[in-house]
Amino acid sequence: MNSRSRYVWAYIMIAPTLLGTVLFWSWPAVYSIYLSFLKSEDFGMVNHWVGLANYEKLFKDKEFWKNLRNTLYYMILFVPLTLVFSTFFAVLLNAKIRGLSAYRVIFFLPQVTMPAAAAMVWVVLFAHDYGLINYVLGTDVAWISDTRFAMFALVIVGVWGAIGLNMLLILAGLQGIPKALYEAAEIDGAVRFRKFRYITLPLLTPTLFFTTIVLMIGATQVFDSIYLLIGKTNVALPEVRSLVYAYYQNSFVYYDQNYGAAIVDMLLVINLILTGLQFAFQKKWVTYD
Amino acid sequence: MENRRQAADRSYNWIIHVVLIAASIVMIIPFGWMILTSFKTVTEATQIPVKIFPSHPDFSSYAKAFEKTDFKHYYLNTAFTALMKTVFPVLFSSMAAYAFARIRFPGRTLLFFVIISVMMVPNPVFYTPQYLLMSKWGLVNSVTALWICALVSPFATFMLRQFFLGISKELEEAAILDGCNPFQTFRHIMLPLVKSALVAIVIIQLLWSWNELQWPLIINSSPDKLTLSSGLATLVSMFSTNYPILMAGALMAVIPMIVLFFIFQKKFIEGVAFSAHKG
Amino acid sequence: MTIRKKGWISALSLTVVTALALTGCGSNNNGGDSNNGNTANKTDNEAGSKNAGASKENVTLTYTIWDQLQQPAMEAIGKEFTAENPNIKVKVEVIPWGDYWTKMSAAAPAGTLPDVFWMHSGQFVKYASGKFLEPITDKVKNGEINLDDYAANLGSIYQLDGENYAIPKDFDTIGLAYNKELFDQANVPYPDDTWDYAKLAEVAKQLSQPDKGIYGFAAKMDTQGGYWNDILANGGSILSADGTKSGYDDPASIEALKARYQMIVDKASPSHQQMTDTDSTEMFKSGKIAMIFEGDWRTTDIDASDIIKGKWNWAPLPKGKAKRGDIINGLGNVMSAKGKHKDEAWLFLKFLGSKRAAEITAEMGAAIPAFKDTQAAWVKSRPQLNLQVFIDQAAEATPYPAGTKAYPVWFPKESEIMAQAWGGKISIEEGAKQVAEMMNKAIEENK
Repeated sequence: MNSRSRYVWAYIMIAPTLLGTVLFWSWPAVYSIYLSFLKSEDFGMVNHWVGLANYEKLFKDKEFWKNLRNTLYYMILFVPLTLVFSTFFAVLLNAKIRGLSAYRVIFFLPQVTMPAAAAMVWVVLFAHDYGLINYVLGTDVAWISDTRFAMFALVIVGVWGAIGLNMLLILAGLQGIPKALYEAAEIDGAVRFRKFRYITLPLLTPTLFFTTIVLMIGATQVFDSIYLLIGKTNVALPEVRSLVYAYYQNSFVYYDQNYGAAIVDMLLVINLILTGLQFAFQKKWVTYD
Repeated sequence: MENRRQAADRSYNWIIHVVLIAASIVMIIPFGWMILTSFKTVTEATQIPVKIFPSHPDFSSYAKAFEKTDFKHYYLNTAFTALMKTVFPVLFSSMAAYAFARIRFPGRTLLFFVIISVMMVPNPVFYTPQYLLMSKWGLVNSVTALWICALVSPFATFMLRQFFLGISKELEEAAILDGCNPFQTFRHIMLPLVKSALVAIVIIQLLWSWNELQWPLIINSSPDKLTLSSGLATLVSMFSTNYPILMAGALMAVIPMIVLFFIFQKKFIEGVAFSAHKG
Repeated sequence: MTIRKKGWISALSLTVVTALALTGCGSNNNGGDSNNGNTANKTDNEAGSKNAGASKENVTLTYTIWDQLQQPAMEAIGKEFTAENPNIKVKVEVIPWGDYWTKMSAAAPAGTLPDVFWMHSGQFVKYASGKFLEPITDKVKNGEINLDDYAANLGSIYQLDGENYAIPKDFDTIGLAYNKELFDQANVPYPDDTWDYAKLAEVAKQLSQPDKGIYGFAAKMDTQGGYWNDILANGGSILSADGTKSGYDDPASIEALKARYQMIVDKASPSHQQMTDTDSTEMFKSGKIAMIFEGDWRTTDIDASDIIKGKWNWAPLPKGKAKRGDIINGLGNVMSAKGKHKDEAWLFLKFLGSKRAAEITAEMGAAIPAFKDTQAAWVKSRPQLNLQVFIDQAAEATPYPAGTKAYPVWFPKESEIMAQAWGGKISIEEGAKQVAEMMNKAIEENK
């Protein structure tokens, strides 16, 4: 078959994906940036070009900086905690123990649970007066409506949902470490912690790095749990409101889609930086994979 | 020496189990509490001190959640959306992925870049323009709007291309010698070889689609056009703090996926682990 | 093998066709950006006039409301309408209040508003000026509908630039609900029309037993059903009479807000956080609160609680320094300008404004109907309760602060700022001032 007819086949085969991508994804991404330079009136029926006015407002808006800070703060709490717990449980499961698959299923359960439903039950668990958590721990904390604790509540829900998957990824990484290395260490009489510190951790770095980036990208987009856990009239909302939540609120509740676009475009910048980081270090984990 | 080592190992195993069981309980508690609360009355659910078990299991919350909201449509819409968001992306992406992996054609690199570049863009960036597009097409508040933008999946294209790249060329060359056109080669030789990746993608698409909240929340409003997830948000607005009803609704929303998960555990775990390689 | 091959080929051709169809749509629609709205309008109008002749086809109208408590009554009205017009069915849809306006504003520019839906005075200007509502001026002029049929000039709320857009549905005022049992236990006489705010605060303190989780009053953070009434009673205002300036920073308004918050400080009311965890009306329904402010529309809901049924009643709001502050609001039924079945929708809209629909609303206790002389039936719907207070208060009540395009912008932000104050994060004064500033800015930007 000549190469020209092969081209034709290639174009036919990529056509649906290409056209769909351009129409539903690429064009909207570009349009979102365009929107941030406009000011719309009457439900977007009338548009004016306002240049950088939305960004000017954004950078002067204390709330935006607060939301950005919240998003980063969530990431800084959520990512390391998820990594530590996931690694800890992965190391435990890496031993030859019984019931491995049962533990795996249980830890994985939150992953297949709708985040909206999960957030709803956490509201009940976290309740101040009749919540199970305060009852069991004997604490007296308004987890989701005290400005000091709401972020932790949000992080707990996030970590609970993320451990299962990340534990598995790390477990896969652990199982890729040659057994011979441990055997050599055992002859040296290395204790467990030292084995972990000097053999496991260095060899696990590529996996951990990759997991970290994925978790960070995910953390910047937190929305569902804020929407259903914190609620609209919660005094703690400003302390946990993420960029995506602010985007939703400004675009669809306050009817300012242009300002919303400016907010979400800042999220795009953050994600591009994170993806850039990932690319820069990609070689490391690809060779390992 | 040897005995001491074995004894130490045994006690270490013991400790591991204790830790893992404790952690498992923490992981499961939200589900348990969801079930228990859904059978309580409002008074029991908000009783001080906490009442763990309902005195008489009360099923009326389920009836109320069903009666006051449109759960039947939530289920149908969610299932249909998940189906559309699974079948089409898998079909389109596998074709495109094969072409990008194996056929050299002008513009290949550029076009591939066009497709995967959107993977760097966080989802919320797309919502407003997609909403405006749906608005122009008169699709706001329709079941179609739930899935139409997800007919194609750059992510699945990217992942499947990786898989096609990993397959040896010999089989394919034999087919080409036999006179198969690229589509036939793809269909009969290559596609069966990436079956496990296809299954993984089906599962991820299914799960993402099932759980998605923000898009359905933005685009649809009529009770019979909502999905389970956006339906739950409505339930919360409607019953604010009537926890038994909320928990009954939440449980009804998560059960189908959990049942599927128990049936296809291994496939789920593989599939979702695979999805983490996004980006 | 061949069969499967065929399947795949047809699948492929389907995809090509789909792809073509999709791009077709895309390029078509990218073209006429600016006059898109107009063309759509025109074609709809044409379709409308064509329909007029052939109105006997089977049609299902969507009627969207925000209160699930009124769903049974609205469905009953729909059923009766269908009995008269067998070819027109009515589907009643509920979108809860908290989501209603977000969803409606997403549907409006897309042309997918429901055929007939509830309109609120605060939101009205935005939708009318956006041309999303079908004017009914002609029908008023040719006498198909008489706006004088409705009480307390409710018909005038939904007028803009000389056009009429809505048929009044009901009106609502706020009352003081009290738990008789808690009053009896403490040997305190029930609230009556002699009460003022000082008396309310005093009795609330007297009836509170915080250690038992029982409180005299729910000083909730709420506008229409909460502090707006206090502000008016104290001589303050929510919005200046001409709608150009917020009244939140008026000293009398701040004083009223502070007085309400003081009840939380005094432990005469649950804290804001407790009322976030459990809705205060739910607490009242389970007998944990002696008194709440609530709208007449919650009557059926409260009375459905087994715990409190027969042990509660309504009283008028207390008097303040200036007057008895009470907000009256009137809802209207409107129809979409872009509905597919506008002739049928008009028939239904007219029926919704009829005396018969008002009677159904009244008898089922759903709301106080707007139609003149049907209110007595509502008062009688629950004879054990003193529903007359709502009718009596209507005469001296203040209209809802509506009539501007800015309301939909500032209203959702208001609760967010006040939540900071009610949650103790900022002072009440600071919160009120922030709200005033935010409102003035919204008014400035949305003239």
